[in-house]
Amino acid sequence: MEKATDHAHRLQTIANTRNFCIIAHIDHGKTTLSDRLLEMTKTIESRVLEEQQLDAMDLERERGITIRMHPVTLRYPALDGEIYRLNLIDTPGHVDFSYEVSRSLAACEGALLIIDAAQGIEAQTLANYHLALEHNLTIIPVINKIDLPAADPERVMAEIEELLVIERSECILASAKNGIGIENILEAIVARIPAPQGHTDLVRGLVFNAQFDPYRGVVSYVRVVDGAIESGTKFMSMAHERVYECTEVGLFAPQMRPTKRLSIGDVGYVIANVKSLGDIDVGDTITAANNPAHVALPGYRKAVPMVFCGLYPNEGAAYDALRDALEKLKLNDAALVFEPETSIALGFGFRCGFLGLLHMEIVQERLERDYTLDLIATSPSVVFRVTRTDGTVELVDNPSKLPPANLIAQLEEPYVKATIISPPDYVGAIMEIIQVRRGTLLNMEYLHDGRVILSYEMPLIEVIVDLFDQLKSRTKGYASLDYEPIGYRQGDLVKLEILLNGEAVDALSFIVARDKASNRGRLLAEKLKELIPRQMFEVPIQAAIGGKIVARETVSAMRKNVLAKCYGGDISRKRKLLEKQKAGKERMRRVGRVELPQEAFMAVLQLES
Amino acid sequence: MGDEALGGVYVHLPFCPYICPYCDFAKWPLRRSDAARYLSALHREIAESEPRLAENIFLGGGTPNAYDAAAIVELVARLTERFPEVDSQREITIEINPDAVRAGDIDAYARAGINRLSIGVQSFREEETRALGRRHSNADVERCVRDARKSGIRSLSVDLIFALPGQSEADWIESLDAAIALGVEHCSTYGLTIEPGTRFERLYARTPERFAEEDHEARLYEIAMDRLGAAGFEQYEISNFARPGHRSRHNGNYWRNGSYLGLGVGAASYLEGERSTATRLLAEYMEAVERGEPVPRERERLEGLARLGEAMMLALRTAQGVDASAFKQRYGIDPLVTYASTIAGFIEAGVLERSDEHLRLTRRGRLLANTVCGAFVTLE
Repeated sequence: MEKATDHAHRLQTIANTRNFCIIAHIDHGKTTLSDRLLEMTKTIESRVLEEQQLDAMDLERERGITIRMHPVTLRYPALDGEIYRLNLIDTPGHVDFSYEVSRSLAACEGALLIIDAAQGIEAQTLANYHLALEHNLTIIPVINKIDLPAADPERVMAEIEELLVIERSECILASAKNGIGIENILEAIVARIPAPQGHTDLVRGLVFNAQFDPYRGVVSYVRVVDGAIESGTKFMSMAHERVYECTEVGLFAPQMRPTKRLSIGDVGYVIANVKSLGDIDVGDTITAANNPAHVALPGYRKAVPMVFCGLYPNEGAAYDALRDALEKLKLNDAALVFEPETSIALGFGFRCGFLGLLHMEIVQERLERDYTLDLIATSPSVVFRVTRTDGTVELVDNPSKLPPANLIAQLEEPYVKATIISPPDYVGAIMEIIQVRRGTLLNMEYLHDGRVILSYEMPLIEVIVDLFDQLKSRTKGYASLDYEPIGYRQGDLVKLEILLNGEAVDALSFIVARDKASNRGRLLAEKLKELIPRQMFEVPIQAAIGGKIVARETVSAMRKNVLAKCYGGDISRKRKLLEKQKAGKERMRRVGRVELPQEAFMAVLQLES
Repeated sequence: MGDEALGGVYVHLPFCPYICPYCDFAKWPLRRSDAARYLSALHREIAESEPRLAENIFLGGGTPNAYDAAAIVELVARLTERFPEVDSQREITIEINPDAVRAGDIDAYARAGINRLSIGVQSFREEETRALGRRHSNADVERCVRDARKSGIRSLSVDLIFALPGQSEADWIESLDAAIALGVEHCSTYGLTIEPGTRFERLYARTPERFAEEDHEARLYEIAMDRLGAAGFEQYEISNFARPGHRSRHNGNYWRNGSYLGLGVGAASYLEGERSTATRLLAEYMEAVERGEPVPRERERLEGLARLGEAMMLALRTAQGVDASAFKQRYGIDPLVTYASTIAGFIEAGVLERSDEHLRLTRRGRLLANTVCGAFVTLE
């Protein structure tokens, strides 16, 4: 039996707990504000903070994004004299990880919505806001960077009123960089965000993030919704219906600190000898094994890869190393999928699936940096849905596996709803960019400051090929983009094949809208001509659709490659020059008699439309 | 005295009255004090070398005739004393820059035993000569030839560079014809190579369009083969043409994979199967010699396939090519077996030809020698 004083203490603890996250468009100051909150509550000294920042993964720092950080508990003595526990749950900052974002939001009661005082609302601000609303979160709008010369908080407040339907009086003006408004933010968290509530007669915890630790197995980050999770008891993963013995639970204070139990409203970690993220993953509900809940917490789904590409080791010998590296990455990345694949051009490799383009780039970079693998990646593709003439339906994630046209009754491709916010000057350019990418305009709205919100439906493949880059360059970086999948649509699509020296190169084929196919084929042939070095033989490059040649270019035969000089008998030097040349050649891929540089396999991404 | 004769002795004289914008050899602008100190170091290095017979001697640079004739005469005397000739066919060559040749120099060379001159002409067209940073005139070149003939030197070579910025086919033919008309016995033609760290490299980075394109360069090379061939020169190596009996014996030794001793800064040696290159730092070279220490060298020793591959790279440059049975005997590996598929591919591509045991580059193969030879070198 619990003692009355303990019970009262626990109720007090719950009443004084706030779970919140920070959501923002990229570069609006999420990380700086988090740091300021940690400092202000003396959770971390600023010196430690700096070191911690330095420890962060290179990749994330270089890209100016935080992929995921562990949660932190802040201890805040509020103006009302009470001490509050504020659990800050980090959210990934990119559209690829929107499912992970949604799980983090589901673990909170409130959210700080950061908006840059100079830039105003951007596409991700809107996307995050709608996501937060879906989860019934209390939203505290924070207008950040008010000390910038270009800051215009009035305008931003007008936008917030108009677009988010939040009264301007609710906005907090802040500069995380200069420590302005931080106390107001902490007070608003205490005052506006409700304390957690839950049932005591059952146990349910939401796994909103999970990391793999090579020594301890999976560390699940859990928000306890109902009941309590205690170390030494058995719990069950409801998504995977597996039972584990909990070996340790604890809080983030800010480092992992073991406790006896996690109770309603707590945000902490659970360790239980789970071997892989495939066994317990983000969105999972854990419940007591001896008294399991009947219904899991809502919102779980398996990570669905949206973007696929082939990854091949540049040297055949590295195949095993690549498989090992993928398996290791998979331990910490449930969204990554891969299976062996063989290409005539590239040999043995893996078809890998990712949440999106950024996820793909991160995985590739990790394989290359952390595992020092030398990789060739094929152009990214999406998953096409093929209905054969005999009625069978199959999903095709590799263009070279598409059945012949005469066996296809229907070919569908994934679509997204894309939202773009831009200054009005670039609307023409954006419409042009989207139109050639088969987008349909759904809606167009003007904001207070004259900016425009455009929403489109368009094929996902058109987004992943080069939409981000194109928008960035054609709008000088002013337009922001966000998108969400909306299912499959039928498309008039064909497979474009590239033939080198008369032989089809499987890794260079791709699926494209019929009316754009000839043009893409011509552009790709031209690009390949640029990329393929002259060889001993003339190399014809052909683009073909269903066996019909739609474009042709020729790389003429090499004429001269001779080092005339003798270097005064310095034979070693001469030989080393040839060795270097040979090493360069060996990095190339042989397809029939043709030697192809690695870049050729990504050429389709570099076509100017 | 060492038991086996050296194929050659190379002596590097690194000083130049001025620096040419395309050159990346070990060289320094001439300063009297450095030059004198260097010469003393060289004398000491010679004196401390193991006495051996040597087939040929080559004085290269830099600009060897930046030294006055007396210094050259003295140097040759020391060399011939330390490295006596194997037979009366010995070739002693000096590279000369025609504008640094003074009256009586060549006569003094001849009396010291030098019997071959390699004249750094580069071009017979004045605007090209100037663009290359050279200061001689055609008259200087002609004077060298006259002096040489008067002194009884029977083997003369000129160096020419093609694929110069703006050089047309007609321009190149003009230089080739002038070399032929001069009556020299040997001609080396080099396509301009843009070397790292040279002024030409910077020029190329700024205005690559001024430099020759691959196809044009190929045509110029073909013109050289045709023009010199028609004039009675035999192309006995990728860059070298000679009238009968006038091939460079010293360079031939390199391509035969023969042994040689290099003396001086940056000089390369190949002794008892070890390749080594002396330091390219002038001060480091001189200080080591002065302290009586060995000259710092980068060394490597190739074995097995790597050694065979290098020998292929060298021999394929020559008209004679690779004699497979001789290779098999010398290196213990049969190249026709080891490289069978590579060779077959090259023969199919028309860049190699085979008759019995011999492999040679075809005419097209000579234009693509790097690609062909590069296939035989071994990567670690």
